[in-house]
Amino acid sequence: MIGLVHFLTVAAIVFAIGLYGVLSKRTIVGILMSIELMLNAVNINLIAFSRFITPEVLTGQIFAIFTITVAAAEVAVGMAMIFRVYYDRNTVHAARLDEMRW
Amino acid sequence: MVDFPLLTTILLTPIWGILVLSFMPREADKTIKMISAVTMAIALGLTLYAYWAYDVSLGGLQYIENVPWITELGVSYALGVDGISLPLLLLTMLVGFSTIFVSWNVEKRSKEFFIQLLLLVVGAIGTFVSQDLFIFLLFYELGIIPSYIMVVVWGSSERVSKEYAAMKLTIYLLLGSAFMLAGVIALYVNAFPAGMRTFSMQVLAQAHMMGNLSEDVQVFTFFLLLLGFGSTLSMWPFYSWAPDGYAAAPTGVSMLHAGVLKKIGGYGLIRIGLLILPLGVKFWAPFIAFFAVVNVLYAAFVTIAQKDLKYIVGYSSISHMGYILIGFAALNVISIDGAIANMFAHGIMSALFFAMIGLVYDKTNTRQVLSLGGLAHQMPRVATGFMLAGMSSLGLPGLAGFIPEFTTFVGAFKVYPLHTLLAISGIVFTALYILRVLANVLFGPRRAEFDTCRDASGVELVSLVLLGTVLVVVGVFPQLLMGMVNSGMEPVMALLVKLHVTPTLLGGVFQ
Amino acid sequence: MNIALLTSEIAVVILALLIIVFDLLMPRQEARRSLGYFAVCGLLGILVYTFNQHGASATVYHGFFVVDKFALFFKQLFIVATILTLLFSFDYIEGLTHNTGEFYALLLLSLVGMMVMASANDLLTVFVGLELMTIIFYILVGFDLRSSKSSEAGTKYLILGSAASAVLLYGMSWVYGFTGSIVLSEIAAHITASPAMLLGLGLMLAGFCFKMSIVPFHMWAPDVYEGAPIPVTAMLAMASKAAGVAVLLRVFLVAFADLQAYWLTIVSLLAGLSMIVGIIVAIWQTNTKRMLAYSSIAQAGYILSGLLAADAAGVKGMLFYAVLYMVANVGAFAVTTAVNNQYGSDKIDDLSGLSQKSPFLAVVMTVSLLSMAGLPPMAGFVGKMYIFMAITDKGYFWIAMLGLVMSMVSVYYYMLVVKVMYSKEAKNQQEFTASVSLRIVALISLIATLFIGIYPGPLAELANAAARSLW
Repeated sequence: MIGLVHFLTVAAIVFAIGLYGVLSKRTIVGILMSIELMLNAVNINLIAFSRFITPEVLTGQIFAIFTITVAAAEVAVGMAMIFRVYYDRNTVHAARLDEMRW
Repeated sequence: MVDFPLLTTILLTPIWGILVLSFMPREADKTIKMISAVTMAIALGLTLYAYWAYDVSLGGLQYIENVPWITELGVSYALGVDGISLPLLLLTMLVGFSTIFVSWNVEKRSKEFFIQLLLLVVGAIGTFVSQDLFIFLLFYELGIIPSYIMVVVWGSSERVSKEYAAMKLTIYLLLGSAFMLAGVIALYVNAFPAGMRTFSMQVLAQAHMMGNLSEDVQVFTFFLLLLGFGSTLSMWPFYSWAPDGYAAAPTGVSMLHAGVLKKIGGYGLIRIGLLILPLGVKFWAPFIAFFAVVNVLYAAFVTIAQKDLKYIVGYSSISHMGYILIGFAALNVISIDGAIANMFAHGIMSALFFAMIGLVYDKTNTRQVLSLGGLAHQMPRVATGFMLAGMSSLGLPGLAGFIPEFTTFVGAFKVYPLHTLLAISGIVFTALYILRVLANVLFGPRRAEFDTCRDASGVELVSLVLLGTVLVVVGVFPQLLMGMVNSGMEPVMALLVKLHVTPTLLGGVFQ
Repeated sequence: MNIALLTSEIAVVILALLIIVFDLLMPRQEARRSLGYFAVCGLLGILVYTFNQHGASATVYHGFFVVDKFALFFKQLFIVATILTLLFSFDYIEGLTHNTGEFYALLLLSLVGMMVMASANDLLTVFVGLELMTIIFYILVGFDLRSSKSSEAGTKYLILGSAASAVLLYGMSWVYGFTGSIVLSEIAAHITASPAMLLGLGLMLAGFCFKMSIVPFHMWAPDVYEGAPIPVTAMLAMASKAAGVAVLLRVFLVAFADLQAYWLTIVSLLAGLSMIVGIIVAIWQTNTKRMLAYSSIAQAGYILSGLLAADAAGVKGMLFYAVLYMVANVGAFAVTTAVNNQYGSDKIDDLSGLSQKSPFLAVVMTVSLLSMAGLPPMAGFVGKMYIFMAITDKGYFWIAMLGLVMSMVSVYYYMLVVKVMYSKEAKNQQEFTASVSLRIVALISLIATLFIGIYPGPLAELANAAARSLW
């Protein structure tokens, strides 16, 4: 029987993978994708809680819809930003964003 | 006359001066100086009136004003002066008035200079007249930033760069005040339970009587205050900003700092330390006495080795602060009387000293003792000023410095005989360096290279005449000063008797 | 359901949309200054309207959105900050881009995000408001198309900001899961100190601290502040930070009040660290905006320390501090803008000789910086006193002590700026010009800083009323 704990574990693993990706990916696109993973982990969590903890109200699922929407907006802005960076420096490597330090 | 807000007027006069000055065109050099002079003259006149009209026989706080300011914090705009603060207020005015004339030859950016000079004076006035700790704090640090700017812009780099000296002065004073502020917060929170809290110095002074402040709290809080006021007073080991700062500062700023702003430390120790935290003072008094002796002797030795006139007076003023500290630490009426009177006398004396050094430097372009000599031939008036200040500094009877120092020693000897003896021996060293300086700079053969230097004249004489007269008058009629101070100490007497200061450690060696 | 409570937010949205429409209707070559004035006038009207809502204490949408004195206090702060920022940056924005209309509209929309945050009474609304504000700031930070620093700053902010949002959301999901609700008061009713709950709480704290640029979640702030256009930097420093404070206060004091024992220690460490790191690192900065960024990190530490009191007195101190910090920053950024308009860069060296070229602006800069340092009689001093007295009452004297000492250390680098302005000679003899609106803003900042410092009563009372409405 698959229960709440399984969902939470999957979410935690996905979140950890995302966090690892944010810290280790070299290109901005990769980092953005990792952030998406983190947000999706949140969605799994929210929906699982909604199903198991508060089955009579849909709070968690509505929350998840908001999260998805906001994530889409974030990515849209992120892609625009990546174009700007590429236009400026001909690369999307995160390590090249080094004009300002300390 | 009862309802006339005299102290507020005294406080607001220089503030109005500042406002008027800030709307003056930058080029109106003469007008700017005239306005500053008139402002300070009015304030000085009002203060003299206040001093004269103060009822000594009645004592206590007079010219009281009290307007609720921030009710939820218990802050009120409370002003008032007593025998402790009135002499210091007068000192502020006398020195402040003289600095305007000493700075008469400031041509570069004179508008900014005089605005900031008046700000320094306002800060000092505010601290001396406020009877509310919060209002006190608002004025306490007012002078520091203007001092920084004035040293950096109008100062001089001799042994250390003026930027370094200015930053050192600022950081020392501000770090000290950080501890002081922490102490004030601790005092405020602990003195009364929430809802009854107040910043009024009078009410806070009762917290001790009511047993609200335990000894531990008082000891801890006074320690924080001591760090703050001690660095303002250039107590050892927080003194090293003072000589560098004075040396780098323009003459007027040196006068105000050494003469007036430094005394805020001593005033705070008495007004806030002694009156509000007597047990804390009692605990720390032996340490203060020890520091005082170090101040006197160490600074005197260092002074002997100095060659720059400003450093000599700078270190000598640190040495003199030792006398004030030991008078404070002895915790009896006589010694504290002496300490307060000494603050006044030393303020006038060091201001006169710096004014004279400023004159000599203007005319000869050097402050090195060794490259000066025989100036009495060319500048008899400046020499007179030097002599007056020097003699007062080494405590010659008949000048302002004598009675206060004597009183201090009489009072302190009962409590700390060994410390006092050591401090008295400091006078010998003071005499040594003062006489050596006077002899080297003023006397000796006439030197041809100074023949072109003209003696002080015109506005340059104002500070000499004013401060010199005060030194002589207070020296000849000490009652003018001591009577006032004594009336201020009367209410403290009961408190001091209760403290029963017992001699400890070195203090008891001879008993 | 009383939609009228949302009027001010709706009005700002309409204002933003109107600006976009007018921008499209106006001929291409015509100057867009009028749009700026339109935005300012509209905001003034809305500001006046918000006073009308005083005394209201009601919720809409099943308790998701609350209008009380606390929310109104912050909304007014945000609106005033936006008005003043707009006023001092007209010239700068026109030099920055041709799409000024868009810039104004975006700024207003980010304002809506902040206002929603101030009123948020549940985690979802917090999240939506936060993201509305933050996503628009990503765009605004990268708005300077001429500068590669701007795009770099925007990208960094976007990456770190989204990651922080994800962390915050993950925390929220745990809190939701273990209390079964997202409305703050219901969370408070079901809260237990289980490990998962504390995990959620910790993650949320991290997310909020990121928005407030609290050490160790501050890494984005210096780069973003330096790279962003000045008005955006100003808004980030003043309003975005205050918005973070608003949600932090409401979430932690309403929902997590019972777990105080767990979060107080962490908060005290975070606050202390921010003070130390912000002030120490600021000493070596050579760029005005970057210096202000580190100083803002330290200021965030001071504001956060008020939370340690966890009572109305502490919150009052935080609200008071948020206002005076806004006022001081307005002055500092206005002067930075004026200097940037003149020389085209933000080096501290560019301030050389300012006291000769424009004594007034030099005084404003000095007073603003010293107010941040907390020197009497400037407003910052009173603010620190309020906060530190409140937390000393609760036994956090060491934070008060640390804060006071660090604030005096901070005077060191503020004095370096003052020294440049007063003792260095100007780079050239060019006449220094600054627009009238900029000078007016600078004057407002100067007067307000001194007035609050000398007579803090009225503002303290407002802050007090706002703080009490939380309980």
